Amino acid sequence: MTTSMDRLVAAANGQIIDHIPVFCNLLDQGARELGLSIEDYFSKGEYVAEGQLRMLEKYGHDNVWSLFYVGKEAELFGCKKICYANDGPPNVEDFIIHSYDDIEKLQVPDDISTHPAFVETAKCLEILKREVGGKVPICAYLTASMSLPAILMSMEKWMELLMIGEPEVRDLLLEKCSNFFRKEIEAYRNAGADILVYADPYGSTDIIPMRVFKELSLKWMKRDLEPGGLEGVVYYVGGARLNSVAEQVINEVGINAYYPGPLDDIGESMRIVNNRALCAGVINDIRLLDWTPDEVRTEVQRIVQGGLQVSNKFFFGTVVMPYGIPDENIKAMINAAKEFGRLSLPASD
Amino acid sequence: MLDDVIKAYNEAVLDTDRALALQIVADAVAQGISPEDIVFKVVIPGLDLMVKAISEGFDTNLAQHFMTSQIAADVSERMLVLFKTPPEIVGQVIIGTAAGDLHTLGKRIVIGCLKAQMIEVTDLGVNVSAEKFVNEAVARKAQVIGVSAMMVHTARSENGALKVRQLLKERGLEHKIKLVVGGAPFRYDPELYKMVGADAWAENGVSALKVIMDCIKGVKA
Ligand code: B12
Repeated sequence: MTTSMDRLVAAANGQIIDHIPVFCNLLDQGARELGLSIEDYFSKGEYVAEGQLRMLEKYGHDNVWSLFYVGKEAELFGCKKICYANDGPPNVEDFIIHSYDDIEKLQVPDDISTHPAFVETAKCLEILKREVGGKVPICAYLTASMSLPAILMSMEKWMELLMIGEPEVRDLLLEKCSNFFRKEIEAYRNAGADILVYADPYGSTDIIPMRVFKELSLKWMKRDLEPGGLEGVVYYVGGARLNSVAEQVINEVGINAYYPGPLDDIGESMRIVNNRALCAGVINDIRLLDWTPDEVRTEVQRIVQGGLQVSNKFFFGTVVMPYGIPDENIKAMINAAKEFGRLSLPASD
Repeated sequence: MLDDVIKAYNEAVLDTDRALALQIVADAVAQGISPEDIVFKVVIPGLDLMVKAISEGFDTNLAQHFMTSQIAADVSERMLVLFKTPPEIVGQVIIGTAAGDLHTLGKRIVIGCLKAQMIEVTDLGVNVSAEKFVNEAVARKAQVIGVSAMMVHTARSENGALKVRQLLKERGLEHKIKLVVGGAPFRYDPELYKMVGADAWAENGVSALKVIMDCIKGVKA
């Protein structure tokens, strides 16, 4: 029987076995499956693994997540206060960097795999690996050094330091974040994650000017990824647009998979990537809250056909699916992605 | 000469070069251009020009909005103390992030642009209750309440903009106070502002200025 991993490997080679890989980024929704509050759900790795497996069973998509919420990375740095909601993702409430002095004092944990804030994630990965390892791609989320400061000091203070602050202070922080990233990716790989989503909104020119992208984002990206290599790494810019930088990342860093934002033109993304890597067609999942199942289907059709028209090195994906999306829309989306993702249209080169 | 200053200033701002923008202004003042002219003929038209360019499809990034707002607010603040007579305040705005939302950057960008335009802004901070938004707006005779939200659940929450609308309605304030919203979820769904009961929304910090200005004018008319 074809597994999700088979589909992904096929896609990376430009082939479709039965249908394209359908990636579905369901996170908080696991709490509902287990009948828990979001806060309780994220308190144990067993719950998150169970939630992921139940959703996999229920929806039949092609990936599972070891990510609880992005604020977990701040917890690895010592953040103790997370703001939980009943109907949305947890957020960092207390920033660990309050002043530039704190940057000097910031300690990168020695060993992430044994860090108390990683224990539950490790448990989750262990269960996922035992249950579906090798059959279903296990995803991990890792924030790039250029973007991590946003949850250590707030988006506001990071933008300020980046654009008008002292370059020495900025670089000291980036170096610590990059050292952290290198250890983090190693810990996740060792714990069984296959797909390493390199999350870097500060690697999109929606957020920063091209000059900053060239001077800083590219440089730190290379440094982050250099020791561990590019195996399984996906370039993801937080749902922002990717097209303007894709060529440079391919040429200068050589990442093998790209995740555009929902507001990128998928045909353009595919033409830029041009068979040199795998590329996702990404739905605007905020609209999944209100679209009818028919509207969802039409939108998925547009995206999937738009991608496959250019190349079969293509898969379908979502950004960070909001908690309130109706079940019927999730099902309509996945069914449509499988339905339209079968048609292998002739490439138009 | 003023034309050259305007051109050079705008270029520096779009280039996110704060040091250069401030230098251009300092040189202009040294050469005899009045602080009033700097604000009303350089800074404010600069913002207007950017609003217009964006509405015509000019693509901008977040850092440009941050720097535009930062520089405009900075220059205005420096110039205001040098004014011969204090300028007329154009309007009053109350702003904060929605209940449950802790993200401050969007709000800060909007505030900078408003201040440069001689709009008085009260920043209520983060995680602001609907009651507080409305009470403060009444106390300060504000024409506009601005609610910023970065996540879907805070943008659509019953305790956020929706409740501000409900309170405005209950208290018969709808003709006096307009509700304007912004933040990432609104950019991914341009119709969302209506669903949460807002009168208007803006896609970015600089456009927020025009939208809020229009609301102030509407209330005052
Ligand atoms: C950078 C980014 C990150 C960074 C930093 C996040 C942060 N701020 O803390 C990182 C990578 C760490 C991250 C993490 C997360 N993110 Co994020 N992220 C983004 C991204 C790319 C930009 C968000 C941002 O900060 N923009 C900067 C602000 C200033 O822009 P803005 O809010 O749009 O404001 C502008 C306008 O909207 C307007 N405006 C703003 N306020 C107001 C108010 C008024 C009155 C007016 C008129 C105008 C106005 O002017 C502003 C300036 O131009 C967006 C996608 C995108 N392209 O927008 C996702 C996005 C915001 N993230 C999202 C999510 C879900 C998250 C997480 C919760 C994921 C998770 N499950 O953990 C975490 C939260 C982390 C935390 N805080 O603890 C979602 C939110 C939607 C949703 N699903 O609910 C988004 C939209 C992505 C998506 N499409 O799914 N993220």
